[in-house]
Amino acid sequence: MGTADISKVTKEELSRMMVGRDVQLQVEKEPAKPGEVVLDVQGVTMHNAAHKKDSVKNVSFQVHAGEIVCLAGIEGNGQTEFVYGLTGLEKLSAGRLTLCGQDITSASIRQRSKDGMSHIPEDRHKHGLVLDYTLEENMVLQRYWQPEFQNHGFIRKDKVREYSDRLIEQYDVRSGQGSLTIARSMSGGNQQKAIIAREIDRDPKLLVAVQPTRGLDVGAIEYIHRQIVAQRDAGKAVLLVSLELDEVMNLSDRILVMYEGEIVGEFDPKKTTVQELGLYMAGARRQGKGE
Amino acid sequence: MKKNKLSRAGLQGSLVGVLAALLCILIGLLCGYLVLLAINPAHAWSDGFVRILKGGFYDAPYGVGKMLANAAPLVMTGLSVAFAFKTGLFNIGAAGQYTLGAFGALYCAIVLHLPWFVCLLAATVMGGIWGAIPGVFKAYLNINEVITSIMFNWIGLFLVNEIVYGNGSGVMYDSRNTRTWNLRKTAGCEGSVIPDFGLNDLFQTNSTTIAIFLAIVVAIVIWVVLEKTTFGYELKAVGLNKNAARYAGINEKKNIILSMVIAGALAGFGAGLYYLSGVSEWNPLNSTSLPAMGFNGISVALLASSNPIGTVFSAIFISHITVGGSFLSTKYYPTEIADLISGIIIYLCAFSMLFRGKIRGLLFAGKRADKANANAETAPAAVKKEGK
Amino acid sequence: MLLLIKYTLLYGIVLMLVALGGMFSEHSGIINIALEGIMVIGGVAGVLALTMLPADAPAIVVVLVSILASAAAGMIYSLLLAFASINLKADQTIGGTALNLLATAIAVVLAKYFSESGSAKLNYSNKPFLFSIGGLELSVFVPLGLVLLIVSYVVLYKTRFGLRLRSCGEHPQAADSVGINVYRMRYAGVLLSGALGAVGGMAYIVPPVQTWNFEVGVAGAGFLALAVMIFGQWKPFHIFGAAMFFAVFKSLANIADSTFLASFGWSSNIYNMMPFIASMIILAFTSKNSMAPKAEGIPYDKGSR
Repeated sequence: MGTADISKVTKEELSRMMVGRDVQLQVEKEPAKPGEVVLDVQGVTMHNAAHKKDSVKNVSFQVHAGEIVCLAGIEGNGQTEFVYGLTGLEKLSAGRLTLCGQDITSASIRQRSKDGMSHIPEDRHKHGLVLDYTLEENMVLQRYWQPEFQNHGFIRKDKVREYSDRLIEQYDVRSGQGSLTIARSMSGGNQQKAIIAREIDRDPKLLVAVQPTRGLDVGAIEYIHRQIVAQRDAGKAVLLVSLELDEVMNLSDRILVMYEGEIVGEFDPKKTTVQELGLYMAGARRQGKGE
Repeated sequence: MKKNKLSRAGLQGSLVGVLAALLCILIGLLCGYLVLLAINPAHAWSDGFVRILKGGFYDAPYGVGKMLANAAPLVMTGLSVAFAFKTGLFNIGAAGQYTLGAFGALYCAIVLHLPWFVCLLAATVMGGIWGAIPGVFKAYLNINEVITSIMFNWIGLFLVNEIVYGNGSGVMYDSRNTRTWNLRKTAGCEGSVIPDFGLNDLFQTNSTTIAIFLAIVVAIVIWVVLEKTTFGYELKAVGLNKNAARYAGINEKKNIILSMVIAGALAGFGAGLYYLSGVSEWNPLNSTSLPAMGFNGISVALLASSNPIGTVFSAIFISHITVGGSFLSTKYYPTEIADLISGIIIYLCAFSMLFRGKIRGLLFAGKRADKANANAETAPAAVKKEGK
Repeated sequence: MLLLIKYTLLYGIVLMLVALGGMFSEHSGIINIALEGIMVIGGVAGVLALTMLPADAPAIVVVLVSILASAAAGMIYSLLLAFASINLKADQTIGGTALNLLATAIAVVLAKYFSESGSAKLNYSNKPFLFSIGGLELSVFVPLGLVLLIVSYVVLYKTRFGLRLRSCGEHPQAADSVGINVYRMRYAGVLLSGALGAVGGMAYIVPPVQTWNFEVGVAGAGFLALAVMIFGQWKPFHIFGAAMFFAVFKSLANIADSTFLASFGWSSNIYNMMPFIASMIILAFTSKNSMAPKAEGIPYDKGSR
């Protein structure tokens, strides 16, 4: 505990005071070594029936193995809708999605998951967790149907417990009663850690992480950033959607800026500035249309 | 050691549930007693309250047999509502599904002379079909299942009455009794009556069959499905959080329809148990009230906090006081006092969460440090509205 | 034709009154599925008042007193719903269902207690409630209903109270933040629905017949009124239109025997089914653009603002 003068204190000092140890706000990471194309997005367009307009317009890009691509933008510029389309929660009105060479444009959510897509959802209470389920039941939310956890339709509770205990241990998820804690009673940070543990442990080829650190404390943010970088280093393709410019600059190897449903620019975080990104995000500038 | 601690937490939860239910019952009975006092103070205790409490035992063994015969269908409609609750749906349509189930059973028995288990199956299928309709409306049109179920309750009642009555000349209609034909007294229908294996002799009744045991078996099966299978896991996930279930790749539309089909089938099965035991016959001239069995199922489910095993006990209890009410001397009291008591009990059940919190506080305060569990208790129903 | 208009008006006004009640409750954020039970309670209270008033009392007194008694009973009964769903934050659908079950039991016990025969049937005179204009026999509930319709519209859209009420159903947190007492507004909404529902219940029972068996309750009219409310998009004049539309179907059953409809040879069951089937078809088509108050059904907790 302590007090500090706002004009003098730095972010690092403030974080140390809050967490009680040095916090690495600047994520340390090696340069990316992009491999083959994992996700190929071609001309994706999505229609929003409620607002009677296209929320995503002709979006195309690729994500390679071993790189973190960040979709940046101000909230409400089509990122959420795009992720819904990518993960199968909503239908595309046009375009093609290819995951590791397989066409998944009209695949079911379950099929996309089987094909190696993991998804850390934007809203952990809406999509990420069944809040009234126990932690262990939530840990197998994406895999309860796999032979490992069921036998002729009967859930193998012992295996679920074993698996959940392992994830809790490995990813340091803290809760009152371990595997049997009701998810609702856990802190936001630990809920998010549980989701991340679940999604990362499935060993995906593509990890889609949407605002993975929203509303969390600095300690948890640091932890989650490390996990995401570790995934990249393990050769996974990562698509990060974030509103936080700091996070965008720190984590990504490539930045795509989205404005009103379109991608208006692609940047290398080492060669751009927060100011430049801001201009694109606000729609004041765009690439490719003769600036 | 860890396992030990965990199972104790589960046990504690059930204990609190049971205590909360008992508290509701106690207050309900107390209110009932006050009403008895208000109507006729002189007879309130021995001729009123004690008779209700004694239930079927007031006139044993006949009363007990009657109580069991009524409890069997009640277990089923209770299960129907409880199952739907567990999957996030409020099946207020059990009455209509029960009506269709009665039709299926009686048609197979009276017209087709099929053996009892086939009639029972027909009742189940008819109930399931009637349950599927609100499910489809909910899944594809996002219309609240409560409103659809209510509409289809009435549509089902008028439809069944129309077919059975057939302007007074329906094949199933016995115009002398203004009801459907009595299965035990009609030639060719004997095989359609559920066997009693001597229970009728034991209880000196003519409608106590193995129905209650069939109902208990179904209750256990439902419990296993909900608690032990991936299917139950999916159903409950859809009920608790439709969006998360969808995110997990569960087909929520299919699951909503399936759980309504199962709920309907359970209610239909209950109607089969009732009418194929020959407890009474269907009266097609009654077109103004739905079978009470369907609505009492709601009471049963609420009292049991939607636990399938609990529904067996709460159905027996509700049946117990209803039979007790029927033994009241109409000279002093209306028999509906029993309905009044169960009505009060359900009203109390609607906020039994509050009781649970209090009971938990009283019993376990100080003993346990982790408060986490206290607010982890979940409502029996996760009935949420999603735009009708 | 005159007969069709008569029955349509009589039944339509019932549905409209009850649906208006539901509308007030839902605009305040409380789903009132207990309308059926409130109608029963209102009916039994009104009829009991009728039977207890001296036979030589002037018609106007009889009408006023019994309607007021009915409305008061409905309001008291709706307090049970308000208490459970506002203070105790119970599930509104379950609480309402419990009240529906309880209402029939209460009505039967009361009716049996007060009737001479010991059955649940009560006899009364409906003469004071009827009048006729040019051969069209109507009940006082028709003009009363039309007045209440206009009053409802004015209250909901032209007064500060109406605006506040609606804000509690749309966004209670915002309402609270500008100093509106959400609990009190919701109580007001539920109480209004209790009064209107009860008068509707009386209007359902009293004008057509002189004896009523309370074991029957109101035979689903309260639930039909809920459908009318949804079909009427939670707006007073739309509700009036919807109520009349449903009432036409119901009325067909009453006049079927004496008109060309008799040639179809349909039984009353088929006519009885019609309003329910019609409401399902209409709900299926209108469900996509629902105008339901956004926060209805969700208990408001001051703590979670």
